[in-house]
Amino acid sequence: MDETVAEYIRRTVLKIPRDEIKTMLQKWGLLSETQLQTINFRQIKENISQDVVQLCEENSADIKQAAVLDIIYNHVYPNKRVWSVYQMKKTGEETEFFDLTDFKKKFKRRLRSALKNVTINFREYEDNAIWIRIAWGTPYTKPNQYKPSYVVYHSQTPYVFISASVLKSNLPLLCQALVLASNYHDIREMELRSHSLNSLKDIVFKRYSQNFQTHYPRPLQERNVAPESADLRIIQENKTEKERIERVNREVFGDGPQPKLEFAQYKLETMFKSDPQMDVLDKKEPFRCLVKFSSPHLLESLKSLAPAGMADAPISPLLTCIPQKARNYFKIRERKHFFPGSFVSP
Amino acid sequence: ENADPQRTAFLLRKQWTLYSVTPLYRFSNAHLRDYARLLSSFIAAEKQKGLAVEVGVELDIKVSVSSLPYLKGSDQDQAAILVQLSSRSPASPKNSEEKLIWSGWFCCVSGDDLSKNVPEDFTCLPLFLVNGAECYTSIVGSWFQKTFDCSFRRLAISPLILSWMAAMWTGCKVDKTASAMELVFSVPCLPQPLDISYAIHPEDAKALWDTVQKTPGEIIQEEVDVFMDCLYSHFHRHFRIHLSATKLVKVSTAIASAHCDGIIKFLQSQYLTGVLMLLTELAISQIE
Repeated sequence: MDETVAEYIRRTVLKIPRDEIKTMLQKWGLLSETQLQTINFRQIKENISQDVVQLCEENSADIKQAAVLDIIYNHVYPNKRVWSVYQMKKTGEETEFFDLTDFKKKFKRRLRSALKNVTINFREYEDNAIWIRIAWGTPYTKPNQYKPSYVVYHSQTPYVFISASVLKSNLPLLCQALVLASNYHDIREMELRSHSLNSLKDIVFKRYSQNFQTHYPRPLQERNVAPESADLRIIQENKTEKERIERVNREVFGDGPQPKLEFAQYKLETMFKSDPQMDVLDKKEPFRCLVKFSSPHLLESLKSLAPAGMADAPISPLLTCIPQKARNYFKIRERKHFFPGSFVSP
Repeated sequence: ENADPQRTAFLLRKQWTLYSVTPLYRFSNAHLRDYARLLSSFIAAEKQKGLAVEVGVELDIKVSVSSLPYLKGSDQDQAAILVQLSSRSPASPKNSEEKLIWSGWFCCVSGDDLSKNVPEDFTCLPLFLVNGAECYTSIVGSWFQKTFDCSFRRLAISPLILSWMAAMWTGCKVDKTASAMELVFSVPCLPQPLDISYAIHPEDAKALWDTVQKTPGEIIQEEVDVFMDCLYSHFHRHFRIHLSATKLVKVSTAIASAHCDGIIKFLQSQYLTGVLMLLTELAISQIE
């Protein structure tokens, strides 16, 4: 077995949390149950990985097989990477039958015709998700297995999720190969990025509880509200206002759990407007700003701002439109009516 | 007085943690070499006790204590004192280069308010800036405390002061293409914490400040408030979020950046003394 393959396997095993190693090796299937039973999974990871390498040596594992273990790891821990979303376009309306074999063949052919040195692996999962791992080389060097790109393609949809890795120069080629292989005509990058692959899927596949776009007063729903406190001497101030905030907040954010995003960025090119009495800046040019919101769970965080008294209710549509518009990068310009077209003015 | 940019270059673009220091008893500029020697022995002794330094690293530590006479505001100010720790691994050859591993400097820029009220035997150097590992900071700090009967306290920077810095530094003229004026707000007490970075194009920020500031060279609280309110209301117009209800934790401009935990970065030597003057004032108010 090639030394580089051995080292790659060793390092891949080291990434896996110790308690998960056995399961992942079983999923991998390269080592037999008998072989796996010879490994003591209680020892320190360094030793476990050495044992694994040795067994792989016995099985003469090659780089393609080693790459499968990497796919499995990334499938279980996709959130370690940042994923961008791409949408493919067809000119016709026909839904063609998706031929997986044909897809793989065309994809590999396109990449290999441009780059001799490239390692390509496919793995299919439930819900029609095809995972593709590509390790890139150059005409003179072998593929760098430590900086692969990952593609997740749901064949029944026009969406592709790409975790490009540092080697961004290969992105155009990758996009081309995808379009060709899937019989689409074009591909564009959406302004949507996150660590949470599942949340990105929730957003583009509309799998989250959507909010309401019209504003009309709704009767307060009966909810199972426990009394604030057993002591009737304690009265909640502003009860009506608090309830209004809760209701409006639920309307704009929806009832269910929010998709998980870590940031949203807004490039503002709008005019600075102030109280004329203040006698401040009155330029005819935009007041250029860049605003970035970050949080471990951005949408939940924004949802809690109005109830916490830090934002108005409803909070700005610029924030609540993130899941529907499927984007978290925005450029906001001044318009005749302040907010971009699609919002109903209150 | 602007310090020579070449001599102050080493202070720029480094992260300095701030402390206020009470006056030093019987400190003398004439004995800097002795102090270096004594501090060196102290560090060696601490190492023996197993206290000092980074785990698993065997280092020969060399101490230097020097004066930076050009870092002061007025003649009454004490010259700044720089303490540096360098290391050389005992394994490497004698003439090999020493690596600077820790720097700390005491200074006083326009600290008349403090020095005029203090008895003869005391030296006023109320501001202490540190770059390097905490373990060394703690040893050097202990030695100074023991030797000069002074005490160190971390210098926090309140949102109020950060706003001042934002306004002041936005107004400064910068030759080259300036970096954005960035304000960072934190909302920690939510179920999911939120950070907001609000960066304004430096020309636009300066244009706004220039219309707010009425007297050049002079800034009053009201002007700072108006400036910040303008920025908050522009933000509110778009996002309907009240930035004033969040915590301003960091300000970054082309001149310098400051964090509420008492961390500063100087970016322009031209304005170094100006920033130090403000920090000295902060340190003094923390001491008093």
